[in-house]
Amino acid sequence: MSESGINRRDFLKVLGLGGSSLALTGCGNTDIRSGDELIMPNVSPEDFVVPGLSVFYASTCTQCGSACGVMGRVREGRVLKMEGNPQSKISGGKICGLGQAAVQVQYNPDRLTQPMMKVGNGLQPVSWDKAMATLNEKVGPKSGIKGENFAFMTGAMSGHLKVLVQNYLDSLDSKNHFAYEALSPSIGFAANKQVYGVDMPRLHFDKAKLIVSFGSDFLGTGASPVHFAAEYAKFRKAPRGTLVQIEPKMTMTGANADRWIAIIPGTEGIFALGVANQLLKHSEFTNTVPAGIASLVSKYDPETVSQITGVRPELVGHVASLLWEKTPSIVISGASAEGHAHGVQNAVAIQLLNKILGNVGKTIDGQAKSPFPQIAPEAGSFSSLKAMNDAMGGGKLQAVFIHGANPVFTAPSFMGFRDNLRKVPFKVAFVNAADETAQECDLVLPILTAVEEFGSNIAWYQPEGVEITMQQPLMNKLYPDTRSMGDIMLDLVKQRRADEYKNWPDFFSYLKAAVINMKPAVKYTDTDEHFWYDTLSSGVIHIDAPQEQIGDSFAEAALSLPEVQNVQDPKFPFYLVPSERHYFRDGRHANCGWLQESPDPLTTIVWDSWVEIHPKTAASMGIKEGDYLEIASQNGTLKVKAYLFPGIHPDAVSIPLGQGHESLGRFANGVGVNPFTILNPVFEKDTGELAMFGTRVSVKKTSDSEIVVKDEGPVSTQMGRKLVVTLPADVAQLSKEI
Amino acid sequence: MIHRLLAVLSFVFLCVGTASAEPLKWGGPIGSQTSDGYNALGPVVKQPIEFPHYRHARDMGISCLYCHTGARRGYVSVIPRIDKCIGCHQNIESVRNKPRIKKLFEYWEKKEPIPWKKVNDLPDYVRFNHERHVQRFYFRQNRPIREVCGYCHGDVANMTVDRRVKSLSMGWCISCHQKDHRENDVSMKTSHGPYECWQCHK
Repeated sequence: MSESGINRRDFLKVLGLGGSSLALTGCGNTDIRSGDELIMPNVSPEDFVVPGLSVFYASTCTQCGSACGVMGRVREGRVLKMEGNPQSKISGGKICGLGQAAVQVQYNPDRLTQPMMKVGNGLQPVSWDKAMATLNEKVGPKSGIKGENFAFMTGAMSGHLKVLVQNYLDSLDSKNHFAYEALSPSIGFAANKQVYGVDMPRLHFDKAKLIVSFGSDFLGTGASPVHFAAEYAKFRKAPRGTLVQIEPKMTMTGANADRWIAIIPGTEGIFALGVANQLLKHSEFTNTVPAGIASLVSKYDPETVSQITGVRPELVGHVASLLWEKTPSIVISGASAEGHAHGVQNAVAIQLLNKILGNVGKTIDGQAKSPFPQIAPEAGSFSSLKAMNDAMGGGKLQAVFIHGANPVFTAPSFMGFRDNLRKVPFKVAFVNAADETAQECDLVLPILTAVEEFGSNIAWYQPEGVEITMQQPLMNKLYPDTRSMGDIMLDLVKQRRADEYKNWPDFFSYLKAAVINMKPAVKYTDTDEHFWYDTLSSGVIHIDAPQEQIGDSFAEAALSLPEVQNVQDPKFPFYLVPSERHYFRDGRHANCGWLQESPDPLTTIVWDSWVEIHPKTAASMGIKEGDYLEIASQNGTLKVKAYLFPGIHPDAVSIPLGQGHESLGRFANGVGVNPFTILNPVFEKDTGELAMFGTRVSVKKTSDSEIVVKDEGPVSTQMGRKLVVTLPADVAQLSKEI
Repeated sequence: MIHRLLAVLSFVFLCVGTASAEPLKWGGPIGSQTSDGYNALGPVVKQPIEFPHYRHARDMGISCLYCHTGARRGYVSVIPRIDKCIGCHQNIESVRNKPRIKKLFEYWEKKEPIPWKKVNDLPDYVRFNHERHVQRFYFRQNRPIREVCGYCHGDVANMTVDRRVKSLSMGWCISCHQKDHRENDVSMKTSHGPYECWQCHK
């Protein structure tokens, strides 16, 4: 007998018992059984439903703003898998990993299944009757809520739900619709507006022979990744197009590039002007821009550009000669070039190259103009958040509604958003899961997921004509106490305008009537009912609208030189690059096991946050992989594991966005850190948008260290053998390469 | 002599009686003989309605595929939807007041599905395809449907509620897959069923 009181024989007995009980409980049905399971035949199903065989229904993916048409595979009334809808010009019958994960949004174990109301400091379940009665009491006609007292915050929005939100605000005489997206394209839009006169031109990657991208991750997170990936595939077919990517931290698009150039964040515009200067020396380009611009650009010789941007001087000429050789080309800017105090200037300087090269009209032209402005997309912006935050801080708002956004999580801590929200007497959140924002609200209403709901969507990037993608329920709602957002909105509108909306008992009938009203625009000749069912079964309404005209007169005034403040700050020597992961976006998808488990494409890390740091910088500071670093800005400190990554500028460190949730669900809570919190109040000066890439940080090594969980093991070590011989790009003689 | 006559008469009576009357409702214990000479291998399963297979398949001669519509076109054979039952029974007044039919109409009026219990339930890691088997043996080889379904389900046409009579184990499946079967009713060419793991374990 040992001292612990268990001898070997007892231990084996316990082990045996444990083993047999394990075998009994087992997983799933592992035996041939009779009478244990039920088969519940349908009472009278649709004729085409054969149990065991899948049926496909067309709908729209709402995981990001691209509005890809998708098909849901449904069996026995349950949606099992998402596929692309071939009738959709946006998705072209394809789908991305984020879209596949819509199924896990539907079956997420942390979905909110009943209305909740704040009691004391916590949320308590209440009935829908009580919830709607409270809504009526607090914001109904007798509540006195009106005009400036009320605000409705949404995420990016389009389609008929947007119309209802707008109508509800009109019924309250309120103009406070704040469409907020943490990762909004607003700065790029403002630059495009200056250069082309439109928010977003149509980009023809497939027609280009060379793409020069300044930080645009169009394959991972851009305007329409599935569509751009298809265009990119055509671009890469023989004769193979060339991709040059210039950015501070390698994105997934950067990893696909033939030539990847690391640049000091914020100096992309200067590099573009340096290239422009080289191009203008060619006689064929000399008269392409006004003389004023030519003389402005002429001071950016390769040496000057190199000093500012940290890029070797010969690369300026190299990119220029590539652009000269390979026409037509396309030059685009993306988040890491635009997210600075001079973001619009940067983007305009980059677009100048398109003007010089004559790409406008060849690889860049106008999108189709939608004949239905009231359902047109609202892409969302940071300035909306700022406006709402200011209104709340000033004590103006008596009631706010929040739908499709999680501002408590994504607002930088310097704004004090959480405290300001608490000042509002009545706050309502419409959510699928009780996220950080919902925890602060007085009433939290569970809404249907996108696969349970009717709706219409329009993407702000339209590849061909105007495509309205329709949403229809792929299955019945899982939880009886969840409600359609459209139905709730219709009830709210009826609080004040019952007569106008009396013909529509629910959102379905409203949507149906509205869609049938569009019939003349699509030149459909059959009956209204046929039009409705054709629309639902194909999943898209395609309108051949004429293209918007885009300007190519590059006015002198449009170009103001980027004000680059490349000042070395001894206290905060590093640039912070908050990188957008294509699975998590702004963090709304973090509570999805599949997406947490999917390795980051470049680092292969799973279920965690990390900070990317250049191996040379790490060596000089004695940092090894897995060491905990303190990344501190003026506004906060994050403690996060180091990952040595050669695809980053040595003066920059990068932390991926999306992790660090406190309340979203079991898969997201407590995983990683949230870099939104430490962002500095640096704003783009033309648009007032937050300059996401304008934060400087310090890096301090701590004594803690932990293993980084990642898949890459054999890739970096190659199992101790030289399976694939590689050479760092700065060592290789690439003069004959791209 | 009289005893012998009585014995013969009672035997004849017994034979005639069993041929037309309802078979034993629940059958004997596991291992007891079934009408087609197999041993009952599964337990007696109490169903919400004692569905008389013998009445439909044997007495009326209705094809199995008439109700189990999925068997020829999908993985699962399908338990018929209730409106299928009602489609016929609303026009059969003679049995309208029988207890089982009353129960059926109760479900129909409440629009509730009937919670049937699975009798032939394979483990979750096995994917059996009804369509492949029915297409091969019924449509291509043109064998009687009761025989084809009976390979795995036994003589259901002589049962009231279904009872498992075949082992449905992997070895039992393989024993048939190893045999050569004619490809169709006009050719003498034969082939056997597939052996690959993934055919069933997907």
